[in-house]
Amino acid sequence: MRQFLSRSESRSGLSPSILAIPILLILILIPAAGGFASWENLSNLSSQIAALVIVSLGQMLVAVVGGLDLSVGSVISLVTCVLATEGWPLTLTLPLAFALGASVGLINGWGVAVMDINPIVMTLSSMTFVQGVTLVWRNVPGGHIPKQLPFAAVGQTLGIPHSLLWLVLCVLVLTVVLRHTRFGLRLFAVGGNSASARLNGIPVRRITISAYVVCSMIAVVAGVYMAARIGSGDPKIGASFGLDSVTAIAMGGTQFSGGIGGVASATIGALSLGLISNGMNLLGVSTFLQSAAKGVVLVIAVCAQRRKSVGV
Amino acid sequence: MQAFESSLNTTENTLKRLLSGAWNLSPAYFGTALLIAAALVFRPILLSGAFFGVILRQAAPLGMVVIGQSMAMRCRSIDLSIGGTVLAVTYIASSHYLSGWPGYMIVLACLCLGLAIGTINGVLITIFRGSAVIVTLGMTIIFIGIVIALARYTPPGEVPSLIRYFGSGRLGGIPIAPIIWIGLVIPIALALRITVFGKYVDAIGSNPGAAAVSGIPYLRVIFLVHVFSGLAVAVGGLLLAGFVGTGFTEAVVGQDLVLNSLAAVILGGVTFGGGKGRIVGPVVGAFMLTFLFNFLTSFGFDESGKLMMQGGIIAVAALIDAAKRR
Repeated sequence: MRQFLSRSESRSGLSPSILAIPILLILILIPAAGGFASWENLSNLSSQIAALVIVSLGQMLVAVVGGLDLSVGSVISLVTCVLATEGWPLTLTLPLAFALGASVGLINGWGVAVMDINPIVMTLSSMTFVQGVTLVWRNVPGGHIPKQLPFAAVGQTLGIPHSLLWLVLCVLVLTVVLRHTRFGLRLFAVGGNSASARLNGIPVRRITISAYVVCSMIAVVAGVYMAARIGSGDPKIGASFGLDSVTAIAMGGTQFSGGIGGVASATIGALSLGLISNGMNLLGVSTFLQSAAKGVVLVIAVCAQRRKSVGV
Repeated sequence: MQAFESSLNTTENTLKRLLSGAWNLSPAYFGTALLIAAALVFRPILLSGAFFGVILRQAAPLGMVVIGQSMAMRCRSIDLSIGGTVLAVTYIASSHYLSGWPGYMIVLACLCLGLAIGTINGVLITIFRGSAVIVTLGMTIIFIGIVIALARYTPPGEVPSLIRYFGSGRLGGIPIAPIIWIGLVIPIALALRITVFGKYVDAIGSNPGAAAVSGIPYLRVIFLVHVFSGLAVAVGGLLLAGFVGTGFTEAVVGQDLVLNSLAAVILGGVTFGGGKGRIVGPVVGAFMLTFLFNFLTSFGFDESGKLMMQGGIIAVAALIDAAKRR
């Protein structure tokens, strides 16, 4: 029983030290940063981290099959630019955005699963390429997002900020997918040991490709949210999301060697990251020192989870 | 008749051997040959002495960075701390903190900084077993943050004349940066071929498990590779600072170097673990990329076109490598 418990604990990637990070941060921030616990700041926090949490959920799926997707940031930028195309209605741009996202994911998955290209290399190349395409689409920030969308992201219903609804909805959907579907179980099987997964009749390639496609689609959702939030298209807005999402899931205890990760761990990682920037904003720390601090936390979080293998 | 047949056979064999030899060469060699041929037809001016020297000088920082990156990748590790290291090194070289020091001391300080960052990477990766991707990425984030935060109080200034001489001086008409670069590449490439350390790097790359079991000090080798990479990046950063002439705080410059170093290494036929091109392949890859960007600029390509090209090239090189492994 004990062994079973410790096993199931390690599969989710959560550990007491990882849970302690956000709790500690909150305990420090409530007295240290005036106005942290105010309703206004909390709804602000939720709108700040919603996109990161959503992207991190997708990143986590890919990490569970032992991969990494650096291209999510470029996909987000592309989506905001597609949605902001002048004169195109949402009924056209939304399906187009999802189709573009799915094709990026399909190519990533094909390269990794079928051609056996290292995921870092594969997604680095698609990240660069998609960034180029985005700049062709729109060279400078601008354009208009149809009015319906901004309300969906920045509005409130019964006092609950809509960003929180986006966040909760994505978390719930992915929890169900990961815990209660065959696809979710197979993701862990492939990530844990792809050879024995194959021997057990799991279509390893198909599952891996699906993971990348779903990850890109989730990035599209985050892109739609970002576009709605800023109300225009920005070809560079997603640039930091690739690394930030990797940072977030690493802080949440997801392992890049595969088979370990979960919705809770990705969410907590992203929340910790968001708390760090929100708190330091309130404390008036310069943005650049904030990013340095994020780096320190990241390195400590990763090194605290000792693994067997060395290297990538 | 028989003689004819046998001669036919031998020609066929030589042809086959030539073909398979060419097939085994890394994509960087083909790419470079192709580019130079294209330049001969469309933009011969790029191959003139003056232009070619400038391109070589531009390629030198990337060429240095690539040495460390290719060794790290052959050990199934990776060094993404390049962006942060380059920024930190150029900042140290150009800020007022060391302005009273003689030039060679500043160079030494920069090299020590590179060495220190490499050492931290190595310790975190081999002793704490952090994932190399995350650890080195974290280092980049940390150093970019620190440098930009510091630069708001003490902005970077001019680079000492010694470093500028390294980066943009000429020796008898030949730019010095590529002389330093190639002067360092040759002994390093030779050393990796001859020394036991080089064999260790080979062995760890092709099968880390087997290397560990057979008593190769593989943690120490990976550690040293990262230390070395930090040093190589510092040299690259110095050459870049000398080329630009002033310090800069654009993180993009370093990020570009990281991306291009990965591209050059893959073009050079090195992938995670082992690979054919070793040091020379990636170095040729570095030259090829620099030449390509100049070539594209001469046709009026803007950032978007270059990015698509860059992404496409990385993908094609990786696909060629994947096809070879089958």
